[in-house]
Amino acid sequence: MNDIVLEVRDIVGGYGPMTILNGTSFDVAKGAITTIIGPNGAGKSTAFKAIFGLLKVRSGSIRFLGRDVTNAPPRRLLEAGICYVPQGRNIFPELSVRHNIELGAVAAGRSITDMPRRIEAALDRFPVLRRKANQQASTLSGGEQKQLEIVRGLLLDPKLVLIDEPSIGLSPMMVQETFGILKDLRARGVSILMVEQNARSALEISDYGIVLELGQTRIVDKADRILHDPRIGQLFLGGGLAA
Amino acid sequence: MSNFLNLLIAGLATGAIYAVVAIGFTLLWQTSQTINFAQGEFVMLPAFFMLAAMNLGLPFMLAVLVGIGLSLLVLGLLFKRVLVDPMLRHGVLPLAIATMALSIALKESVKELYSAEAHPFPSVVPAGNVDVLGVPVSMQSLGVLVIAVLAVVALNLLLTRTSVGHQMQATAQNPTVARIVGIPVERMILYTFLINAGLVALGSLLVTPIYLAKFSTGEILGQAAFIAAIVGGFNQVRGAVAGGLLLGVVDNLAAAYVSAQYRAAVPLFLLIVIILFRPQGLLGRVEERTV
Repeated sequence: MNDIVLEVRDIVGGYGPMTILNGTSFDVAKGAITTIIGPNGAGKSTAFKAIFGLLKVRSGSIRFLGRDVTNAPPRRLLEAGICYVPQGRNIFPELSVRHNIELGAVAAGRSITDMPRRIEAALDRFPVLRRKANQQASTLSGGEQKQLEIVRGLLLDPKLVLIDEPSIGLSPMMVQETFGILKDLRARGVSILMVEQNARSALEISDYGIVLELGQTRIVDKADRILHDPRIGQLFLGGGLAA
Repeated sequence: MSNFLNLLIAGLATGAIYAVVAIGFTLLWQTSQTINFAQGEFVMLPAFFMLAAMNLGLPFMLAVLVGIGLSLLVLGLLFKRVLVDPMLRHGVLPLAIATMALSIALKESVKELYSAEAHPFPSVVPAGNVDVLGVPVSMQSLGVLVIAVLAVVALNLLLTRTSVGHQMQATAQNPTVARIVGIPVERMILYTFLINAGLVALGSLLVTPIYLAKFSTGEILGQAAFIAAIVGGFNQVRGAVAGGLLLGVVDNLAAAYVSAQYRAAVPLFLLIVIILFRPQGLLGRVEERTV
């Protein structure tokens, strides 16, 4: 792998007494798309929550650009240059589209002076959002809401985007559009870590793949090699790798 | 006609006070799932803060400021830190029960300290009548109505036109996502507690000259605010406003035209009808909660 932006080392964590992450380790390469795949309950989304400070890591470490960010609160991670787009709908339904987007700038405080320009630029890039800027966000379609979330996350110019199941509930066309946005981001040097049920399509646009199972890293490799790895089919069909 | 207009304006004035108190009630619910059953006592108490300050020799206006300051501190900050935060960790129901206990504690403490008598309280609005459409209307009612409306408009501007207001709304609509985009959720919740404390202090200032300062006035007010919030829609500020005004008007008109004896039953009747036929309230939206 080339330069590393995020190093996850032996993290252990879960909900209450339940341990989901069982010594998970992986790296995220700079300017690349890395996709985490694995069966349900493997700890993919939990790993994201742990990285983004929403779930306490009991042991292990997370380093972002060489700095320790283990258990750092979301606000600090946003300031450091990480943004997180969770699974499902993550908008403020009764605020307007524009106000939803503006809230993405809150973590910057007054340190970024050209925010109005950035918001205009973002609306230029997504004409649907500009057209509906003054409508309640709840009136957007699923795909448009996802775009809004991505736009909101990009306002702070993150270096690393964590995106969880971007394709869930979207039409095939919207999925392609969303993946297109991710490819554009990569072209601009942004690193992306994605979790995706739709493993095949995700790996097709990815540079690297990580296979998680039972909270542990099973395989880390180039995405196209994982795509053609016969063991992967086996893993998704049950049976497990350890067996 | 003159009688009707006066009743209507008096009803709107009472309703505006209910609305002010109900808004605070719904704000707490929306941002922190706090159902404050002591909200009525929260309206009763600031008047006693002000009376205490006046007893120390402060002029009325200064005493009002002291009363508002003490309300922000005690009914806003301390209420959140000492009671709500620790209880909410155990769930919404334990907190609701704790606020019932607080309601009793506040009532009995005031009775102990100030006796069970009603104390007169100066009005911020001058007495007398003004002419509206050729009909003499109570200055007191009009003044209360105007002040309450201004307060609601100001609050609405804060919530809809400022970044802090948007952050507060975002916190109410989706706290998890609010945290993810970097909104200081804890601070926003504290702001709603301070706003509620400000609103009850204002309500106290407006209602006490009419009802007098008495340990038990919170009972009626708390119930009225609760009913207003449910009638209007628990999860909407404008619902609380509509519910409050409606309740005030219906209450006053029913007392005059239906029966003064059944007056107290009218709000409850309204509540039952709304719960039966439109449980989300007049302006509320149906809420889905994941358990």
